[in-house]
Amino acid sequence: MIVAENVEKRFGETLVLKRVNLRVEPGEVVTILGASGSGKSTLIRCINGLETLSGGKITVDGHDVSTKTGLVAARRASATVFQLFNLYPHMTALQNITLAPIEVLKLPKAEAEARARALLDRVGLSAQADAYPQQLSGGQRQRVGICRALAMQPRYLLLDEVTSALDPEMTGDVLRILAALAADGTTMVFVTHEIEFARHISNRIVFLEQGELIVDLPTAQFFAEDGGLAVPRIRQFLSKMKKD
Amino acid sequence: MRYADFTPYDIILLLQGLGVTLALFIGTTLIGLAIGLMLAVVHHYRIPGCRPVIVIVTEALKNSPVLVQLFLVFFGIPAFLHIRMTPVEAATLTISLNTAAFAFVIFRSGIESVDRDQIDAAKVFGLNRSQILRLIIAPQATAFAVGPLVGILVNQLQVTSLISVIGVFDLTKIGNILNLRTLQPFIVWAVIGLIYYLAAKALAHVGGRIEAALRKSVKWGGI
Ligand SMILES: Nc1ncnc2c1ncn2[C@@H]1O[C@H](COP(=O)(O)OP(=O)(O)O)[C@@H](O)[C@H]1O
Ligand SMILES: [Mg+2]
Repeated sequence: MIVAENVEKRFGETLVLKRVNLRVEPGEVVTILGASGSGKSTLIRCINGLETLSGGKITVDGHDVSTKTGLVAARRASATVFQLFNLYPHMTALQNITLAPIEVLKLPKAEAEARARALLDRVGLSAQADAYPQQLSGGQRQRVGICRALAMQPRYLLLDEVTSALDPEMTGDVLRILAALAADGTTMVFVTHEIEFARHISNRIVFLEQGELIVDLPTAQFFAEDGGLAVPRIRQFLSKMKKD
Repeated sequence: MRYADFTPYDIILLLQGLGVTLALFIGTTLIGLAIGLMLAVVHHYRIPGCRPVIVIVTEALKNSPVLVQLFLVFFGIPAFLHIRMTPVEAATLTISLNTAAFAFVIFRSGIESVDRDQIDAAKVFGLNRSQILRLIIAPQATAFAVGPLVGILVNQLQVTSLISVIGVFDLTKIGNILNLRTLQPFIVWAVIGLIYYLAAKALAHVGGRIEAALRKSVKWGGI
């Protein structure tokens, strides 16, 4: 379980996250919605330890990310897929995927490669195993990014706007993969602007507004007239998203 | 045959001089690259208090004449610390540090050329500092650095000629000796110059080969 309690994050003078509380149970898909700049990425970066908390506490399966050993354990439990892929440009797709399994999980190379090839096959990239990121399209790169995360066999998948740098048809490819993962029971914390997709795969939706988590509801309730839609800010956000 | 004539033995003299020059160049290059790399790594990790010291010292080394540095080391340090220093020791120390200063700057920009996003990814996937340095930063920084490093080293090879001034029997010193004996400065210095030129060309050629090999193994085309 991922638990965030009263999480605060400040950059200089500005408070970017304000007493955020969030729980993600194993098997759940929780979508984080919110306008640009509302703190979604920062929350993800606090969970995976890329930002240090200014206040509050985050644990992943009980491991406190603000302690050194806790962070190591928390990072073992989760894996992140990034908006701009963040692949290692000097490594092939296969090497990108096998790096952490070999170096961190200490898997034998052959086993790590077998695992990576199986994942590449699953996302339709078996032919691109030896291609460098530069030689791949955006959608292909993101599929490699997903494989890289899955190769760690994480209990939690953290996804930060993983399709927002992609063309519509590539977005479709990536979303299909995520839907299949969700159907398999993969636990996900999912930041997205793909509202319809989020509605389709999420158990819960939370809404961030200027660093405050103002709504946390089961998906159906979030989209109900007497639920999330009753909050003017959310109604406004959703109708704006529909127009785009 | 007059004393002043060129003799076949002069070729051996020239080769000896070239040998001293190359040995000093290779030695100071290895020491200089190692120190420069170490400084860049220390700088990268922001070890408390180290950054300003490294920057000030390397700036001083890059922006003052090597000849002055050589005099400071050869005459100044022994006088100040009451120790003895041979010309070869002083030459090795001076040129090593000078090369280190330039190598530091190149390695530092090589390290800084690696995108933060990738390092974030590597951290999140659990790689520790030294794994990130070795597997993510080093290969990309090396590919970035090798071209500029070859350029600097070709220049440092020429700089070694200064050590003849403090009495190291390098190629230039041999030129001096031959010149005094034969009184044929045009021929002597043309030949000495040509030898430096050929050595520099050979070095640039080897550097180019290494760079090409690196580029081939890093097809991402980012350099
Ligand atoms: N490293 C940083 N330094 C200073 N401000 C930052 C930094 N990262 C994010 N911010 C600020 O924090 C706020 C939230 O950013 P972010 O979490 O990226 O929002 P979102 O992902 O919801 O668009 C923004 O105002 C942004 O400018
Ligand atoms: Mg963001």
